[in-house]
Amino acid sequence: MHHWQRSKRKSAGEGPWAWLAAGSVATSLALLALLLGLLAVRGLGHFWPADVALVTLDDGRQLAGRAVKEAPLPGREARERLYRDGNRDVDGDIWEWVALERIQDIAHPEDLVVLERRRWGEFIGRLVAIETASGERFSGDAAWPALKERLAVVEDGRRQIAQLREETIQPLVRRVEAGQASAEDRAALASAQSQVNARQAALPDDTLVLESVGGRSLRQPLTDVVRALQPNAMGPVDKLATWGQGVWRFLSEGPRAANTAGGVWPAIFGTVLMVVLMSIFVMPFGVLAAVYLNEVAHQGRLIRWVRIGVRNLAGVPSIVYGVFGLGVFVYGIGGHLDDWFFASRLPSPTFGTGGLLWASLTLALLTLPVVIVATEEGLARIPESQREGALALGATRTEMLWRVVLPMAMPAMLTGVILAVARAAGEVAPLMLVGVAKMAPQVPLDGEFPFLHLDRKFMHLGYHIFDAAFRSGDVQAAMPLIYATALLLVVVILVLNLTAIFLRHYLRGRHGTLPH
Amino acid sequence: MTVMQHTPSTSGALIDFSAHASSLEVRDFALRYGDKPALSNLTLRVPRHRVTAFIGPSGCGKSTLLRALNRLHDLNESVSREGSIHLEGQDIHAPEMMVAELRRRVGMVFQVPNPFPMSIYDNVAFGLRLQGRMPKRRVDDVVEWALRSAALWDEVKDRLRASAWSLSGGQQQRLVIARTLAVGPEVLLLDEPASALDPISSLKVEELIRNLKSTLTLVLVTHNMQQAARVSDYTAFLQDGELVEYGPTDTLFTNPRLARTENYITGRMA
Amino acid sequence: MPHSSSTPPLRRSVRQTRDRLATALITAGGIGVIVAVMAIGIFLAVEVLPLFWSSADTPRIDLQALWLPQPYTGLEAPAHRWQPALPEGGGEPRFGMLPLVWGTLEAAAWSLVIAVPLALGAAAHSALFMSPRLRARLRPTLELMEAMPGVVIGFVAGLVLAPWLDNHLALGAVLLILLPPGVLLAGGLWSRLGGRLHRRLPMGWAAVWLMPWLLVIWGLAVWLAPLLEAWWFGGSLRTWLEVHLGLAYANRNAIIVGMAMGFAVMPSIYALAEDALSGVPGNLVEGAEALGATRWQTLWKVVLPAAGPGVLSAVMIGAGRAVGETMIVLMASGNTALMTANPLDGLRSMAASIAIELPEAAPGGTHYRLLLLAALLLFAFTFCVNTLAEVVRARLRRRYRRMEGLA
Repeated sequence: MHHWQRSKRKSAGEGPWAWLAAGSVATSLALLALLLGLLAVRGLGHFWPADVALVTLDDGRQLAGRAVKEAPLPGREARERLYRDGNRDVDGDIWEWVALERIQDIAHPEDLVVLERRRWGEFIGRLVAIETASGERFSGDAAWPALKERLAVVEDGRRQIAQLREETIQPLVRRVEAGQASAEDRAALASAQSQVNARQAALPDDTLVLESVGGRSLRQPLTDVVRALQPNAMGPVDKLATWGQGVWRFLSEGPRAANTAGGVWPAIFGTVLMVVLMSIFVMPFGVLAAVYLNEVAHQGRLIRWVRIGVRNLAGVPSIVYGVFGLGVFVYGIGGHLDDWFFASRLPSPTFGTGGLLWASLTLALLTLPVVIVATEEGLARIPESQREGALALGATRTEMLWRVVLPMAMPAMLTGVILAVARAAGEVAPLMLVGVAKMAPQVPLDGEFPFLHLDRKFMHLGYHIFDAAFRSGDVQAAMPLIYATALLLVVVILVLNLTAIFLRHYLRGRHGTLPH
Repeated sequence: MTVMQHTPSTSGALIDFSAHASSLEVRDFALRYGDKPALSNLTLRVPRHRVTAFIGPSGCGKSTLLRALNRLHDLNESVSREGSIHLEGQDIHAPEMMVAELRRRVGMVFQVPNPFPMSIYDNVAFGLRLQGRMPKRRVDDVVEWALRSAALWDEVKDRLRASAWSLSGGQQQRLVIARTLAVGPEVLLLDEPASALDPISSLKVEELIRNLKSTLTLVLVTHNMQQAARVSDYTAFLQDGELVEYGPTDTLFTNPRLARTENYITGRMA
Repeated sequence: MPHSSSTPPLRRSVRQTRDRLATALITAGGIGVIVAVMAIGIFLAVEVLPLFWSSADTPRIDLQALWLPQPYTGLEAPAHRWQPALPEGGGEPRFGMLPLVWGTLEAAAWSLVIAVPLALGAAAHSALFMSPRLRARLRPTLELMEAMPGVVIGFVAGLVLAPWLDNHLALGAVLLILLPPGVLLAGGLWSRLGGRLHRRLPMGWAAVWLMPWLLVIWGLAVWLAPLLEAWWFGGSLRTWLEVHLGLAYANRNAIIVGMAMGFAVMPSIYALAEDALSGVPGNLVEGAEALGATRWQTLWKVVLPAAGPGVLSAVMIGAGRAVGETMIVLMASGNTALMTANPLDGLRSMAASIAIELPEAAPGGTHYRLLLLAALLLFAFTFCVNTLAEVVRARLRRRYRRMEGLA
C-alpha cells in the first residue's frame, strides 16, 4: 500500500482535532492492554497459592480467607472487604464481607491449611489430627506430614480407579445401553465393577479432624480431599511449583462442581477436535472454490458478482449460520439419517440432534469464505509468467495448476485455514444451536469403535465460559476459573492469528525475491 | 511443399527457400482481442534450422504473432482468430492436435526469466516428468544434456539442488532455455529473451541462439536492431499488425525495399 | 539429440482426458461449494414463507400482528410484547417482533457511537501523523483486537464491567467527560514545551506516550468523581438520574453493550477507514501541503472528500458486524425485550433471541419460523449492507487509480 505524509514540517499547529485523534489511538490501545492484562493477571493469579489471612475482628471473632475485593459501604465514609473463606459446609457460604473499621488484626500463621475438596469446595482452617481406620491418630506436628503422605496414596488409588472406569467400564456400559452387549460383556462389566469397588475400599479410609478458625470442628473423610496446602508456610519456590501444578491440572483435568471448579481438559479437547474436523472439511472445498473462481471460470460480470457475494458471506452473522446448521444439518439431514439408519433408537435422536459432525460442518460453512478469499488472494499474486512457463513446456492446465500454481499458493491457503481456525475457535453462538454441551466429560474420541463419535455432543472452551458465567449458581466462585478459561481461549486465538500474520509476512517476503 | 504465395502486404519479398524447407507456415492469419484487431492478413514461412527475427515498433503485434505460434492465446477468452498456422504441414488448430503436445514441440522463452520456485534440477526435469514416468538415470542424462546445450552446466553442476531463484538473471534465462530444450522441441520461440539482461549475459544468450540453430528452428522477437542483425538469418518487419517486409537479414538491413522499413531500421520512425 | 522424447499417443490421450476430467471436477465442485454457501439465504426464505400461508400445521400470521402493538389480555393498552413462551396458564404466546428489532438496532447504534469516533480518529492519526514503524505494528495489534472472541468480551462486559460500573457510575461518567479535554490538555502542554521534548516525544509516537497520560487522567477522575457526585448529584448519580431524568439503571444495559461491542467493532472500521485514507493519491496531499495547509486541514479539505465513500463503507461494515454480533449482546444486555429509549435499561436483540430460544422451539412451529424470520432479516440486512459497502469500495479504488493516472 502506498503511504503519504512524511514531510518534515512541524506538526505543532495542528490544533485540537489532531490530538483527539491521537488520543483515540491511545485509548484503544489502553483498552486492549487493560483487557489482556486483566485476563492475564486474574487468569494466572487464580493458580497462585496466595497467603491466607487470619483476620481478627473487634468483637474477637476470627476468620481465615483471602481478600477478593473492596467496596465502599453505602452511605458512609467507610469501606468493606470481601473475603473468600471457603467452608461452605460449616458456614453456609464461602464469602464474608467485613467492614475495614472492624478489623483489629491481620496475621498469616503458618499452620493454616487449605484443602481442596470434591464436595463443598475449599476448606480453610486448622488441621487438628488425622485418624486412620486402624485407629492410629496423628496429631500436632505429626498431623501435616501424615496427611501429605496418606494423600499421595489416595491420589494414586484414585488415578487407577479413573483409568479403569474410562478404559473398561464406560465402553461396556455404552454397549449395554445400546443393547449390543453379549454375555461376555456383561460378565466383564461386572468384574470391572467389582474391581473398582475393591480399589475404592482399599483407599485409606482416614478421617481428618479439622477446625475452622471460628472454632467449629469438622470431620472430613480423606478420600474427598483433592489437594492440601499450607500456603503461609510455603516459600516462593514451593509456591511457584504449586502454581505450575495448578496450571497443569487446569489444563488436564475435567470440571467439577457444576463447572465452577476443576479443569477444562474436555473443553480443550472438544474445541481442538471440532476445529480439526472443520479444517478437514473447509480446506479442500475452499481451495476448490477458489481455484474455480480464479483459474477456471470465465472472468465475466457473473463471476465478479459471485466473488463479491462470497466475500460478503464472511460478514453474515455467525448465528445465521447456526440457524442454517440447525435447520438443514440437524433437523433436515440428521433427521433423515435417523429415519434410515438409526430407526431402532428413535425417538431418542442420533444424528437428529446437535453433535460434533454438525458443529464442524456448520463452522466449515461459516469459515469457507475466509479460506476462499485468502486462497484467491494467493492465487492472484502468482505471476502470470509462471503459468505461461508451465504451459509453454507442454503442461495441460491441470498439470500447471497441480505442479506450479498450487504449490506456490500453499502459504496463502495455510494462512486462510489458520484464520478460519482462529475464527472458529472463538465462535460460540452457532454452537449453541448445533451441538455443544454444558457437561460432556467424555471426549468424543476413544478406543471404542468407530473411535471418533461424530454424533456425540462435546464441550467447548468458549461455551464453557458462557455456561460458567451465566448458568452456574455461584458466579463469584466461578470467576477465577472463567478468567483462566478466557485467558486460555484468547491465548490460543492470538497464537493462531500471529501465526497467520507471520505466514502472510513470509509469503510477501518470498514473493519479493521473484526475479523481476 | 507449396510454392511461396505472395500477398500484397509482403511486398513481394521473394525469398529463396529452396535450400531450407519451412518449419512453420502462417497463412492469411488474423487475430483480434475482442473488437480490437491485433494481426491482420499475415502470411509467412519460417525456414527450418534457421533463426528468424520479428522486428517492429512496440505494439506492432510481433509478440502476439509469436504467442499465436504455440497457441498461448488459448488462455485468453476474448481472442478470436482467422486463417491457419501449420507446423510441419499440420494445422495447429486442428481438433486432433493436442495443445499441450503442440506446446511441447514449439517451446517458448519469455522476456522475463520465469524459473519455477524449485531446484535447478527440478526446473529442467519439469517438462520431462509431464511426459510420464522415466528412469531416474535417463532424467539425469537429459538434464545434463539440456544444461550443457544451454551452456549452463559448468556453472551449476555443483548445485543442481539449489533454488533456481538463487541464480542470476542471465543464468535464469539460460536455465529457462535448458528447461525448454529438455522436452525436445522442434521450434523455439524467444520473446525478447535478452532484454531484461545485462550486456554480458545478453551476449551469452545470443551465442547460445546461434549454436542452437543446427538442431532447432528459432524464432526471435526483439526490439534490438543490432541483435536481430547479429543473430538472425531472416528478418520480418511488422507494423500495425501487418507484415511489411520479410527477407534475408543482410538484404533487409542493408538494402530494404520499402521506405517504411528503412525508416524504422535507421531510426527515423516517428 | 539424446532423447527426442515424443510422447506416446496413449499417454497423450490419458493426459488430455485427465485434464478434461479435472477441469470438470473443479468446475462442478467450485459451483457446488458456492451454491452451498449461497443456499443459506434460500433456505431461510423457504422456511419462513409458510408463516404467510395458512397451512394445516401452522396457523397463518399476518404481518400486522408482528409489527403493530397488539391488545393482549391483562394489559390495558395495545402493546409490543415478545413473550414466545408464557408460563403456565398465561394465555397465548406473544409475538411482537418490534422489541427485538428495536433492541438490535439500539445495541448497534450505541456500539457505533463508541466505535466510530475511536476508529476514525485512530485511522486519521495513523494515516496522517503516525511514524511508519509504529504504524506497521499498530495494524497487526488491532487485527488481534478484532480476533478477540465475542464470548470473552461479553464475559468481561457482563461480569466485570457491569458490576464495576454499577458501583462506580460516577467515576465512569467523569472519566468519559474528562477524556477529551484531558487529551487536549496534553496537546496544549506539548506545543508549549518546545525543542528537546518534541524530539523525545514526537507526534508520530503520540499514541504510545499518551497512554501514561491516560493514567493521569484516570487518577484525576478518581479524585474528582466523588466530589462532583456530592456537589451536583446529591451524593449518588444513580438516584439523581432516576429522580430527575426518570432513567432507571439496569445492571446490564445498552450502554454496556455499546461499549463492549464498540470495542469489538472498532478494529474492523479502523482497518477499512485507514485503507481508504492512506490510499488517497500522494500528489493530492502534497499539492495541498505545498499550499501551506496543515495536515489536519489537508485531511479535512482534501483527503476526506476523496476518501469519504471508503470511510462510509467502513462504518457500514462495522454496522453489519454490530447488528449480528450475538455473544456480546447475550452476555452484556440482560436480555429483556423492552422498547425504551433509556440507554441505561436492558435490551434483547434478534441474534440473542435466536441463540437462546431456537434450540427449544419446536421445528416447524410458529415460534421456530419467527426466529428464522429474524435470522432472515439479519442475513438480508448484513448482506445488503456489505454488498453496498463493497461496491462503494470498488468505485473508490477505481477513482484513486484515475487520480493517480492524472498526476
